[in-house]
Amino acid sequence: MTRTFDHTNTIWCAGCGHFGVRNTLVSALRDLEVPPHETMVLAGIGCSGTIQNNVEAYGYHALHGRVLPAALGVALTNPHLTIIAAGGDGDGYAIGAGHLVHTFKRNPAMVYLLMNNAVYGLTKGQDSPTAAPSHEAAEQGMDGISLGLALPGTTFLARAFTGAPEQMDRLMRAALIHSQQGRGFAFLEILSPCVTYNDTYADWAGRVVDLEADDRYDRFDRAKAFGRVHEVSEGGGIPTGLVFEGDGTDMAARIMVKGTVAPAHQPTDVDAHLDGYRDLMAEYAV
Amino acid sequence: MSKPKTIIDLTAMVAGQGGDGSLTVISILTELLARRGYHLFTSRNVASRIKGGLAAATMRGSVARRGCLGDSFDLLVAFDQEAIDLNGHLVADDGVVIYDASDGPLDRTSLAEAVKVIEVPFGRYAVRDLRRDLFKNSLSFGVISRLLGIAQDEAQDCLTHALRRLPPRLLEPNVRAFRFGLDFADEVGLGLGQGPWCVDRVAREEQLLINGNDALAFGFMAAGGRFYAGYPITPATEILEFLQKHLPARGGIALQAEDELAAVNMAIGAAMTGTRAMTGSSSPGYSLMQEGIVHAGSAEIPLVIVDSQRSGPSTGMPTKPEQSDLDMMVFGGNGEFPRIVLAPGGPKDCFDLAVTATNLAQRLQCPVIIALDQAVAQDARTIPYFDLEAVEAEPGVRLDAAGLSKMAAYGRYQITDSGVSPWAVPGTPGGMNLITGNERNEWGLVSTKPDVRQAMAEKRMRKIAALGDDLPLGQRFGDDGAEVGILGIGMQTGVMDEAVARLQVSGIAVAGLQPRTLWPVPQETLAFIAKRRRVVVVEHNVEGQLRRLLMGAGANGDRLGSVRKYNGTPFGPSELVAALLSDPAFADNVAEMGIVA
Repeated sequence: MTRTFDHTNTIWCAGCGHFGVRNTLVSALRDLEVPPHETMVLAGIGCSGTIQNNVEAYGYHALHGRVLPAALGVALTNPHLTIIAAGGDGDGYAIGAGHLVHTFKRNPAMVYLLMNNAVYGLTKGQDSPTAAPSHEAAEQGMDGISLGLALPGTTFLARAFTGAPEQMDRLMRAALIHSQQGRGFAFLEILSPCVTYNDTYADWAGRVVDLEADDRYDRFDRAKAFGRVHEVSEGGGIPTGLVFEGDGTDMAARIMVKGTVAPAHQPTDVDAHLDGYRDLMAEYAV
Repeated sequence: MSKPKTIIDLTAMVAGQGGDGSLTVISILTELLARRGYHLFTSRNVASRIKGGLAAATMRGSVARRGCLGDSFDLLVAFDQEAIDLNGHLVADDGVVIYDASDGPLDRTSLAEAVKVIEVPFGRYAVRDLRRDLFKNSLSFGVISRLLGIAQDEAQDCLTHALRRLPPRLLEPNVRAFRFGLDFADEVGLGLGQGPWCVDRVAREEQLLINGNDALAFGFMAAGGRFYAGYPITPATEILEFLQKHLPARGGIALQAEDELAAVNMAIGAAMTGTRAMTGSSSPGYSLMQEGIVHAGSAEIPLVIVDSQRSGPSTGMPTKPEQSDLDMMVFGGNGEFPRIVLAPGGPKDCFDLAVTATNLAQRLQCPVIIALDQAVAQDARTIPYFDLEAVEAEPGVRLDAAGLSKMAAYGRYQITDSGVSPWAVPGTPGGMNLITGNERNEWGLVSTKPDVRQAMAEKRMRKIAALGDDLPLGQRFGDDGAEVGILGIGMQTGVMDEAVARLQVSGIAVAGLQPRTLWPVPQETLAFIAKRRRVVVVEHNVEGQLRRLLMGAGANGDRLGSVRKYNGTPFGPSELVAALLSDPAFADNVAEMGIVA
């Protein structure tokens, strides 16, 4: 066996929520029998942006906020890969928020783990876009699930909490399966507290509301999901669970001619398309 | 009535408001001259808006191959007075103006005395008799065909060919409009053979009439390029449109991103799967992409980036050419990383250098930048067919499962003599590795250890050193033994060629060089300068960025003259000749040679 990088060393503080995220991802990939060489983990900048170093897979460390467009490039050119994009709330909701909106719109086959700790931990404690509004805060907190619900074309919107590992495990598998089945973009926000700069374990444990715990909750009804999320949030709760699931086909399947070999596996020699190139050249002939 | 003059070099402009269809008239005229075997050069001059704003389409048809417009317009078709006011002074003394007199007679203040004017109420005729203003284009072509002494059948055939994509219900009234034009010509004494000109018939093999953006996109595709992402921006949009149209049928993808930041990162993602990927933009969009370009340089990702430069700074003049991003392309971005900048001078270069860039990116695993300018990007000219059979896609240093199995250990950033590390792309069994823009060890794990940092920085930079002179050579003009020279890139190429030829005719020997590799500055360029007493650098920017770049690379600044323009218009051949002769050292050296200009 060729030795590859040692994926056991983490940079996180003891008690960081990210350990749970990483362990859940690794066990879900193993249980779903996704081969490491067919898995790619792409992560942004921040404490969450090191998770690719701790999974046995191909890994990529993106620019701050740009993990989604990079992951889209991978997803479209090699749809055979299982793609996990990951990043923090700063990465996905601040500097990369525009890309999140457009990725919702495109519905590419990948899982996006947005590890939300409501703080900029790596830079030592500044407010993030999901920071709780306080009397000195000039801005309201941002909710990615509501954002996703507002955009037509979203197919999988879920929120987990590292303090509820069973639910996180179930949602992680559901997200991976959604993407693997070619249904599109599985957005999984994970409340993953920063024990050093914003220890929200107790606060969040008291506020999370698993929408799916209610048998009458219909996760396929976008309008009702929106209403329920709004209702829970207004009441001071944090809605969790698989909040919305919709029909969809992933972007690569929609834009590629059926049966075409993926761009990454296309022949590069000119002979493969020589006749077509000649015909195209003839269109410019004078 | 004097005998018609055989015109072997015709520069023409059709001008009016945007949406008047000036481009249509030029495209019919180019079809006509192409059939007579003339070489063609077409250019356009538009405002950045969909309708309205003065728009001009220009062309040159010549028996000799030319890479720019002539000094003045032999023919100006003007759809309104504003077109005359703005362009009248550019009409040749013996030129012809066809004026749409629908709104009244022409004020010819801006025209030279001898210019012949034909006033036709095109718009009024077109609306009255054909119910649509746009038919004035075909009407005006009827008159043009008589000016050039072309028989009806041949002219009509050109018209219907150039408009072949129109539905029959629109084509038919265009043909009628064309015949109206002929009738009108008869009325004003321009019967067949009564016009001032006739057109030669010369033998020329079939060629391509293509602009730089299309040729570049074609070259990328032919070199195995299968992913492109861009965001619409003048004058780079044609690359996106070409690839959106032609890549999918060949198993590729061209994507319109939400912004330039996304575009460059999508291309980076695609490149990481081993797909040959490119992104492109124009100046302000390129400046947004710099973060991604730097990242590709650091993370060692093969990526081609196009900058179709337009006039800056900021949003500048979107439809006007400039070469003021040279500093940005060569030096822009944070930190230091290996990069190559190539500079095509016309559509053939665009095709060839797109192939080279795509291969170099794979070979070196770093960003390769292609510097266009609006003129190179959007001007079209006749060139020989692309040599498709000669296109080779070099694979780069890749690792497959078999190769990996022979290695005890594999990390993405293995230190090598060439600076290039063997690469296993995702999906390769056993090749799991880490890609990062942070400083890292050979595993791709972040490291700030001083010795690791130093070794990695040096490894990256070795890629360029290891390449040596294996980069595209420049194009030479004129007399290589001459004591004085002229040097320029991109849009200067065609006009330099013609200026050097004219000087030569006057007995002044000049050597010309169009470097095709801008960065690293090749030995060839420095040797060209070192060999001469004076070399004038021609460029479109305020500060003389190219000259400064050459001096930074070791060229003796005392020998380097500078001719610059930055008003949004290209040099004309006579203008460039005059500018060269006004360089005192250039003129002195010419005089010393005993030649009187």
